[in-house]
Amino acid sequence: MYGWIWRHLPGNTWVKALISLVLALAVVFVLFQYVFPWAEPLLPFNDVTVDQGMAAVR
Amino acid sequence: MTATGNDQERDRSAPPLTPRRARRAVASVVSVIGELLITAGLILGLFVAYSLWWTNVLADRAAHQQGDQVRKHWASSGPKGPGELDTKDGIGFLHVPAMDNGDVLVKKGTDAEVLNEGVAGYYTKPVKSGLPKDKKGNFTLAAHRDGHGAKFHNIDKVKDGDPIVFETKDTWYVYKVFATLPETSKYNVDVLDEVPKEAGKHKAGRYITLTTCTPVYTSNYRYIVWGELVRTEKVDADRTPPKELR
Repeated sequence: MYGWIWRHLPGNTWVKALISLVLALAVVFVLFQYVFPWAEPLLPFNDVTVDQGMAAVR
Repeated sequence: MTATGNDQERDRSAPPLTPRRARRAVASVVSVIGELLITAGLILGLFVAYSLWWTNVLADRAAHQQGDQVRKHWASSGPKGPGELDTKDGIGFLHVPAMDNGDVLVKKGTDAEVLNEGVAGYYTKPVKSGLPKDKKGNFTLAAHRDGHGAKFHNIDKVKDGDPIVFETKDTWYVYKVFATLPETSKYNVDVLDEVPKEAGKHKAGRYITLTTCTPVYTSNYRYIVWGELVRTEKVDADRTPPKELR
């Protein structure tokens, strides 16, 4: 997969390395800016309040 | 299938799936799976960094900005009638020396959008919080244990007898911790009662309740700390803190 991407990047090794770095940073940015903030409330790691929750349904 | 002899292999050049090519196809599938697994691991690692570091950066920035705004607002508006309360920007600051986390801005509501800005929120549901200025009531607060400012991270350091001080524009409310509950169900809304019976109280009074999640890094249970008002102090011109904070 990564080999395939590497082979399809244009330019010599240095240009490829630079583009790879930019792509990796872009992925990290998208994760931090959009994906993680979306995923976090769906995961049970950081609910701090008490509430009726399922108890109201029970 | 058992064609390993060189002659036979050379003869069968027409069919595309010779043993060598088949092996190569399997190898490339395995390597893609391997790369996907490595990628998944990296993403999980990044998520940990996001939760425990980046959200703190964002929340502290937001909380400082809003805290400064509230203080500036207090300084500029001058003395006004009592009971004036600015609930939009935040109603005051919580100081808990035992938690060693500076002053925590307190805002209305306990929704994620409020708490994620590195503040403590007072409950509006399921039980409406009392306010410190009320004659009787329970001032109930929640804040994050980890990430998003982690304002109540050290809640386990708070022991009976420790002071909790709430600062408003013109009054210091000094509370003393009298009970803690290190682990309770997240559905236990009774801890927010106006008279916290679980903490052993039966008479209406001026209480404060801190709630957050426990154990650290998860939120299976809730950690509760109760305090009772000891005294109030007028804020002087220099905003000299009460002796508990000096």
